Order: sequence, then structure tokens, then C-alpha cells
Amino acid sequence: MKQQGTDHEVTTLGTIEISARLLEIPEPFPPNDLYNYAYILKYHVIKVHRGNVDGSDIFVAQYNPLKPRSSARDEFSGKIGGSLEAFRVGDVHRMALEASVDDYWMGGIIDMYFKQAGIRYWAVWTNLESK
Amino acid sequence: MSRRFQLLFSGLFLATIFIVPLSQAGLEIYQGQLPEFFDVFTRVPKRVNLRTFETNIENRSVYATAVRPWIQSLLFMALRDPGEKALLGRDGWLFYTPDVRYLVENKPAESDTEPENPVLAITTFSRQLSQRGIHLIVLPMPGKPSVYPDELTHRAHMHDHDFASPTRELISSLQTAGVETMDLYETFLSLRQQHRLDAVEPYYLAQDTHWSGTAVRIIAHVVARRLLDLGWAQTGSTEYTVNSMYLRRRGDIIRMASVPSLTQTFPAEEVHCFQVFDKETRNLYKDDARSAILLLGDSFFRMYETDEPTSAGFIAHLARELRTPLTSIVNDGGASTLVRQQLSRRSDLLRGKKLVIWEFVERDIRFGTDGWKYVPLPRD
Amino acid sequence: MVFTTHIFLFYFLPLVLVIYYLLPRYRNAFLTIASYIFYGWWEPWFVLLMMTSTILDYVCGGIIASPKSTPTRRRVALVSAIMGDVGLLAFFKYYAFTAQNLNRLLPMLGVSSMPLLQVTLPIGISFYTFESMSYTIDVYRGIVPRAQSFSDLSCFVSLFPHLVAGPIVRYSVIARQLASREHTLKKFSYGIALFILGFAKKILLANPMGVVADATFAAASPLTVDAWFGGFAYAFQIYFDFSGYSDMAVGLSRMFGLVIPKNFASPYLAESITDFWRRWHISLSTWLRDYLYVPLGGNKKGLRRTYLNLTIVMLIGGLWHGANWTFVVWGAYHGLLLAFERWRGKQTIYQWLPKPGRVGITFVLVLISWVLFRAPNLSLAWSYLEAMFGARTHVSCSALLAGEIYTPHNLAVMLLCVSLSFQPIEIYDWLEHLSWRRALVLVPLFLFTIGVMFTQTFNPFLYFQF
Repeated sequence: MKQQGTDHEVTTLGTIEISARLLEIPEPFPPNDLYNYAYILKYHVIKVHRGNVDGSDIFVAQYNPLKPRSSARDEFSGKIGGSLEAFRVGDVHRMALEASVDDYWMGGIIDMYFKQAGIRYWAVWTNLESK
Repeated sequence: MSRRFQLLFSGLFLATIFIVPLSQAGLEIYQGQLPEFFDVFTRVPKRVNLRTFETNIENRSVYATAVRPWIQSLLFMALRDPGEKALLGRDGWLFYTPDVRYLVENKPAESDTEPENPVLAITTFSRQLSQRGIHLIVLPMPGKPSVYPDELTHRAHMHDHDFASPTRELISSLQTAGVETMDLYETFLSLRQQHRLDAVEPYYLAQDTHWSGTAVRIIAHVVARRLLDLGWAQTGSTEYTVNSMYLRRRGDIIRMASVPSLTQTFPAEEVHCFQVFDKETRNLYKDDARSAILLLGDSFFRMYETDEPTSAGFIAHLARELRTPLTSIVNDGGASTLVRQQLSRRSDLLRGKKLVIWEFVERDIRFGTDGWKYVPLPRD
Repeated sequence: MVFTTHIFLFYFLPLVLVIYYLLPRYRNAFLTIASYIFYGWWEPWFVLLMMTSTILDYVCGGIIASPKSTPTRRRVALVSAIMGDVGLLAFFKYYAFTAQNLNRLLPMLGVSSMPLLQVTLPIGISFYTFESMSYTIDVYRGIVPRAQSFSDLSCFVSLFPHLVAGPIVRYSVIARQLASREHTLKKFSYGIALFILGFAKKILLANPMGVVADATFAAASPLTVDAWFGGFAYAFQIYFDFSGYSDMAVGLSRMFGLVIPKNFASPYLAESITDFWRRWHISLSTWLRDYLYVPLGGNKKGLRRTYLNLTIVMLIGGLWHGANWTFVVWGAYHGLLLAFERWRGKQTIYQWLPKPGRVGITFVLVLISWVLFRAPNLSLAWSYLEAMFGARTHVSCSALLAGEIYTPHNLAVMLLCVSLSFQPIEIYDWLEHLSWRRALVLVPLFLFTIGVMFTQTFNPFLYFQF
């Protein structure tokens, strides 16, 4: 049976695949009118399916988080997507990631955790696993 | 009105307000999801959860998504209304409303504390860098309406000679505080006066908030001259060459407005760019993290550099002028604070630096994402 | 919740209508629950505050109406209810304002300053405290009997159509309808028609005018012509916003079988300030008349006292709108104009002009007062008035304001506002004879307005802040 949150993309894209719970959204997402930002979110890793991550709580950059993942992709973002409709604290996401965001996204990054060290992962594919 | 028409009228109203949620729920069920509406029962009814729920309901509405572009198109065709964030100027020029508001509106009361005080944030950053022996030069970037006010409204013609952006006050405050700050307004003003005579390409794009390829090249030259005059940079040994090219570009204001009829009315704009190549290797210009010069900036630095056609932006052209590759951190709309936060967590990028060039577009003096916060430098 | 949002129009309203009409009994109780949800949508704990005020008035009303109560007991109950309601309003609305102003004075007197608390203003508190207070006063005066149940009173206070921005309804208007009311198709369709027109006023007229007003009032030094244009825009924004809300409130009430009075009667056709206050926010002006002006002595204690009473009532009316000196000055301005007209025997000094002249001058006088009402503080209000009267130097950037405000869209809406505001037909009269032709105009208007709503960012009603 197909597991909740899995699909071809999440299991094949990126070098890392995890299930993680969204711990917090530090501030309301900024408007996405002129520019689309990558917004750093904090996750608690529940399970690593592929590759390795640095610790149990990690930082993940989500591009243009105001939009459902299926429509967040644009000419600047490269291939991103997923089934997640909206970011809600407490939800578990299944994600395909790349490390680090600085190598994949050259535009605006909003990082409220900038004082905390650690890799900022780039979310390539994000599906909702459970609420 | 007869009872039959009352019934019909009421029925039409009720049908409208019932069809939208019912068909939305039906569609979501068809897609194998629980209707979004039920989400309201899965969260504690707190203000933040209720707002999120309401936003999600609006964002996911198939009707809103489908109808919005039609109505926007209709409003544009009938009343030339390009939407809330865009302004239609003269000769097919478009402007970004916050760019205009920055120039027109009352300045908020002076604040001595961050994050409202740009002078405090910039002088603090300058001091932080100076303690490490690094120079700072600040480039407040004029917004499009500061350089082309006459393309927004005919009335600005009357003020052609005395048009002064409030940013010049900031420049003067920074200069008084001992921070090296470039006044690009003077440069653009004199360029525009020449422009009238020479009829060269405009220095800003008609459909975009940013500068043209021509302006990029000129300003890079002006900045390089200043750096060399100050003795803060030396000419290196890397030879670069330039390849002139034209590309068609859809302006960011058009993209942001996302009005279909606007896209039809304004075809993609032709932009003249100058790609920078390493003369020896024939490779396109690339940053080098070991450079003694670090550039911090926003989308003005991104334009043509990591965007199409690449290596034709300000960074590449400054590198060409100085004959040395540079290091850069670019954060769209985030040059007030975000770019320094990015620097703060990347200690490798400040290592060995002698000079930081910090650019931000003038509207970010008031509207910059996250204001003008204090940000510590990365550890040595 | 706001009437002009997705959540209200497509979820709350249909759901409440269905359940309401399916329920054979307990409809008032259901409306109360729905209204609490409607109100708590902003901030759930606000509901507790409203319930506290309702319980207080219910208990005090009961004591006052009890045959066993002595006159002293009744008076104590009345004073307690008024003190409680006014106390709530004073704390949540005026604490910060009072503390800020006292803190400027107290150090001069050698007294330590008041703590500055972060008090959140509950939406609509001015409206529902006035409504629940009027209930207790009316019970005391013997105008209405005490509420038959807590559910009845809480339904009256919380009734979602008029909860956050009026009209300020009296219990006497609603009491009998709560016990028994007729639900007819005619009433329902009339309610829909009013709702649609109010909805269109807000989305199609008030919001675009709000954009113009916001731009001009935020400008550092608008040119004279721009300042007037912005003043006009605000005058139309506030009128179509507030009257639109009131129309929607009256319309929604009708959909649930309740008839509440209208709040506006072509106010910009007023020929004097006295006339204006008969036409503008009628439910507030009559409330102030009945519960403040008359108890102060009205016009029964001599001319001087009448002028003083008028000024006091308008000052309080100004403060009711918000805790800011701009509202105090706005109230005083209207109070003095009313007193002046009263001194002239309810005549203006421009009485000799033909009607368009009288209407025009009254409109300009009102427009000047809107500058005080709209500006964030007195200093900016003064600067704006200086700009309107050409007494301000302009900075060069002001020229750009023209590019923002004189767009074909804004000019078209302004023209529409002018023609609708200065024509004599009121929408209540227009809808009184709701022909099928008119109904067929309203349906596409509704659909178009919904479409435009989808393109606008969140834009709450102006009177929510009061």
C-alpha cells in the first residue's frame, strides 16, 4: 500500500529524504508580491529515509511558503513542488531535500534562526504526511 | 415584485453563496482530500489558527483563483487599473506602488532604536567592520520613480530640476557620521540630462523596478572609480571582456500584477546586456570567495547576474572594472537586514575581506523586510 | 468576521441560514451562538467580555424590574450597570489614551506616572456597550419590560448583523420581534437586495476611495488640489463604507426576520449641520439625544445651557469614536457648529443661498471635519488642512502623488460616488418597490462585486475600530 505522503518525486529527488514535524513558523510569512522568498522553517526529524541530516532539529528553506507546494514553482526556483497545501505547525511533512540552500537558491532568504549554526536545507519536494 | 420573482431572486442569491463552498468541498473530496473547511475543527480556536484557516480557505478557493484574473483583466481593459501594487505611467511605463509611496509619504517619526533607524544600523555595521579593518561603502540605490518621475506623471516635468528624493537626507546623515556613501542620484541626474541629448537607452526598464544593462555598466564604472580614488581597492590582473547581447525580458511589475490583459498589452521588453567573460579562459564571470571585496545587495545586484543572461550584472561589471573577481551575497528585497543575517551565519565569506560594498534600494529604507535590525558579524 | 470576506459570505452565512431555517425552535438561542462565533472569530476571548457586559445588564435589569425592588435598590442597580458598561469601555478604549496624557502632566506635579499597559481594543465594544446600557436604562425608565430570558438579551446584544458597527439598536425595537416575528419571502428578498447594495457600496466604491484617501493623507505635502481630492475621497469612503455596512446589517437582519432601523438618509444632501446629524449615523445621534442630551436638560434649561449641552454631547460623541484628540476636536467642531445654528434659530448663515449652495457649503464643512476624523493626530490634521487651503510649501516629490491618485479607475469611482451621494433617491426607497427588473440588476451586480472582492486585499470596515 502507498504510504501517506510518498510519491515518485519525494522518493527520487534531492539527496536527502525525511519525515519531519514542523516545529514553528517564527513570524508570519512576508508578502510575495514583487519577490518570492525562501523562508527558513524549523523541523524535528522523525525518520530519515535517504541520505543524512545534521541533528534531530533541522532548518529547512521553503520557497514562497504562502503558496501550495504544487504552485510554488516559478522560473527562478528550479524544480520544487509537492502535495502540501499550506504550512501548519505540528504537521508532519515528507520532504526531499538538498544541502545547502546557498547552493540552490540565489534570491531572498528569510532566516529568523540566523544566530543558530547549522545547515539550511533546501526543500525540493514537500508532501503532507500527517496532520 | 411577484412572489415568483422574489423566489427566483432569493434562489439566485442563495445558489451563489451555496454553490461556492459545496462545489469546493466536492472538488476536494474528488481529489481525495478532506475538505479544507473541516480544518477549523482540528485546531484550537486561537486567533492565529483562525487567521491561518481563513487565509487557507481563500487561497484554495478554485472560484477566487479562476475569477480573479478575469476581473483584473476587465478592470485593466475598462479602467486601465493594473492592480493595487502597480501604477501605470506614461509611454507604457509601469511603476511599483511602494517605490512611489516611499517618495511621496510622510517619513515616520525619527526613532533612535532599531529596527526603524537605518542610520543607526548602517553606522553600527560600519563600526563593526572597521574594528576588523574592513572598509564599508554604502550605495543607496534610487528607485525608478526617483530617476524617471516624469514617466509616472506629467506633473513631474514641472519639478524636473528640483526633484529630490528623501534618500539624499539619509546620504547626507551617513556622510556626516563618517560612513562613505555614494550619491547615485547626481549620477543619474546628469546621465538623464545627457540622455536627452544622446537618446541612448533608458537607465531603468519600463516594465520593471530595476535598472537597465546600460545603467549597470555605467554605475559599475562610477563605483570602481570611487573605490580606486579612495585607495580601498586596487586594480587586479584578471582581464575580462564583454559581449553585447539583447534579450527579451518580462518585467517584474508585470509578473507581480499577474493581470492577463496586462501581459498582452505589454510584450516582453528588449534589454541590452553586456555579458562579462574571463578573457583568458572565455568562461563567464564567476564570484570568488577568496576576494578581498564583498558585495552585499538586493535584486539590483541580482539583475542580469544570476538572472538571465547571467554574468552581466553589476557584480560582473565591477569585477571587470577592478580586474578582479569579487564575493557577493544577494538577498532580494532584503538588503536592509536579511543580507547581513546571511553574512552573519557564513563566516567563510568575510574571511580576508578588506572592503564591503553594501547596496539597498531606497524604498527599503522604510519598507525593507525585517527593518534595520542590529546583526552581529560572523565570528572571525 | 467581516461581511465582505470569503469565510463570511460562503461559509458562515449559508451555514447559519440553513440551520436557522431548519430549526423549528430555539432560533434566538441559535442566533446567539452563531453571533458569538462571528464575534469570537477575531479574538475568542472577546466573547467573554461581551458576555460579562450582557450578564451585568441582565442581572441589573432584573433587579430594576423586580416588583420587590425599592427605588434605592433600583437606582443602585442602574448605576451599577452603567458604571460596569462605561467602566469596560473606559478601560479597554481609553486607558492607554488617559495614561499617555496624564503621564505628560503628572511628572510636572511631582507625581509618578501611570503604568502604560498594552490594552487590546475589542472590536465593536462601543456599539454593544451602548446597546446593552440602553436596555438597562429603558427598563429603569419603564419603556421596556425586562428581558424574558438571558438568551433574549444576549441575542439582542450579540446579534451578528449589527454587532460590530451598528446600527445601534434599542432593546425596545427588538424585544417584541425576539418573542415573535414573521419570516416572509418578501422580507427575505428585500434583505438580500439591501445586502447586495451594501456589499457593492463597500467593495466597488468605499475600498477604491480608501486607496486614494490613504495615499493623500499619508503624503508628506500634498498639493492643494490633491489634498481636496483626497478629502473628497475620504468623505465618500467613510460614507459608502459605513452606510454599506449598515445596509448589509439591515439586510441580514431581514433575512432572519428582524427589522432594524436604517442608519443613513442621504447625509451629503444635508443643508445644514443640524440637518446632517439627522441624516448621518442616525442611531448614534438619536442614542446620544435620548440618553445624554435629554438627561443633561436638553433645550429645557435655557439657551446657554442648550448650547453647552449640544457641545458636551458632540464632544462625547467624538470621544465615543476613538481615544484620540482628533476625535475630541472633531466632536467639538460639530458641537460648536450645531450650537451656532441653534443660536440662529436652526438657521445657517448661508440660508439665503439656493439649495445646491446650501448643500455644497454643508458638505465642505463636513469634509473639513473628516480631515480631523481621518488624520492620525492633530498636528497632521492641521498640516493637511494647511495643504487644502494652500498654506503649505510642497516638496518636489509631492508631484508624484498625481500619478497614484488620478488614475482612470479612481476618477470613474469618484464620479460615481459624487452622482450617487448627491442624488435624491435613497436605496431604501429604491428597493421598497423591488421590481423584477431591479432584481435582475442586483444579481449581476452581486456576482461582479464578488469577483472584485477576490481581487482586493483584506479591507475591514472603518467603523470596526470604533
